Amino acid sequence: MNITVENKEAKWLLRLADTSLILGQRLAELCSKGPFLEQDIALSNISLDLFGRAEELYKIIATIENNAFTPNQYVFHRNEREYYNIKLVEQPNEDFAWTIAKQYFHDVYAIEAFKQLADSPNKQLSGLSHKVLKELQYSHLHSRDWMYRLGLGTDESNKRLQDAVDRLLKYTNEIFEFDELDQTYFSDCEKIKTTWNKEINTLLSEVNITRKETPPLSMRDFRDGFHSEHIGHLLSIMQYLPRAYPDAKW
Amino acid sequence: MESGDKVWEVFVQKKPGLPFKHAGNVHAYDKKMAIQNARDLYTRRSEGRALWVVPTEAIISVPLGDADAFFDPADDKAYRHATFYDVPDGVKHL
Repeated sequence: MNITVENKEAKWLLRLADTSLILGQRLAELCSKGPFLEQDIALSNISLDLFGRAEELYKIIATIENNAFTPNQYVFHRNEREYYNIKLVEQPNEDFAWTIAKQYFHDVYAIEAFKQLADSPNKQLSGLSHKVLKELQYSHLHSRDWMYRLGLGTDESNKRLQDAVDRLLKYTNEIFEFDELDQTYFSDCEKIKTTWNKEINTLLSEVNITRKETPPLSMRDFRDGFHSEHIGHLLSIMQYLPRAYPDAKW
Repeated sequence: MESGDKVWEVFVQKKPGLPFKHAGNVHAYDKKMAIQNARDLYTRRSEGRALWVVPTEAIISVPLGDADAFFDPADDKAYRHATFYDVPDGVKHL
């Protein structure tokens, strides 16, 4: 099956939808494997919010595309290069610090992004964004709180968080290298970047984590469907069942 | 703030005016984590609009061995039940 997306806005929305979906899938990997029961459920709740958000975004895309494809088809029948998520969210859960730092970097970015979309002329999108902002507010409360706990916890937790931040920060630069589509559909791209940097810098210094210079990434832009090595493994697990058994029903 | 993993009892209020009901318990290291964990475990299906968490150790209960002395004397005192009292129309949650 060859999934195509024609409309510019729909193409752009795939970035948001795919980012939510892939982060949701990464968190879902921790279901039944969380560090303790309460966090297991907290992470799974956030994962479900992300899947729900992705589904609604794929529905909006499908509407714009005159229902050429269903949300399920977008999710299960596209290959690596047809995915447009930010590389940050496809990074693995090396340990709990990775999970939290990744989530926190995403949440801070997503809050400003969806704030701007809440004023979108696309009524479906602006309506969804209002709901998404409430979910993000909680997710941000959760991830931010754990940044404090890990950064200011023990020597070991601080060391692990520093390592996660060092390894994940390099995937954040591309988020702010906005293109023409971003300029069209976000109301203030520059604000997304400045808001993010301001909050991240403040928080990292409060939790005794150093923000180091990140060398430029030798990978091309997520906006053109380029990824780190991890996406293929993630998709092969996520897509296995509907691809192996196309007639399977939920 | 308290520290160290301990157990907290969770009470959920469905809506304003109704009593808080015991929902279960959570593990947490401090107050903030306790209330967040309680939110994630006990209100994820719209069970409530307000939450209390209380350290389990702060709850005083009747020692099991004293239950007879505490409660049996009430068993044969039917007159303590206000069954003769007409509940006015409009009184809710009585």
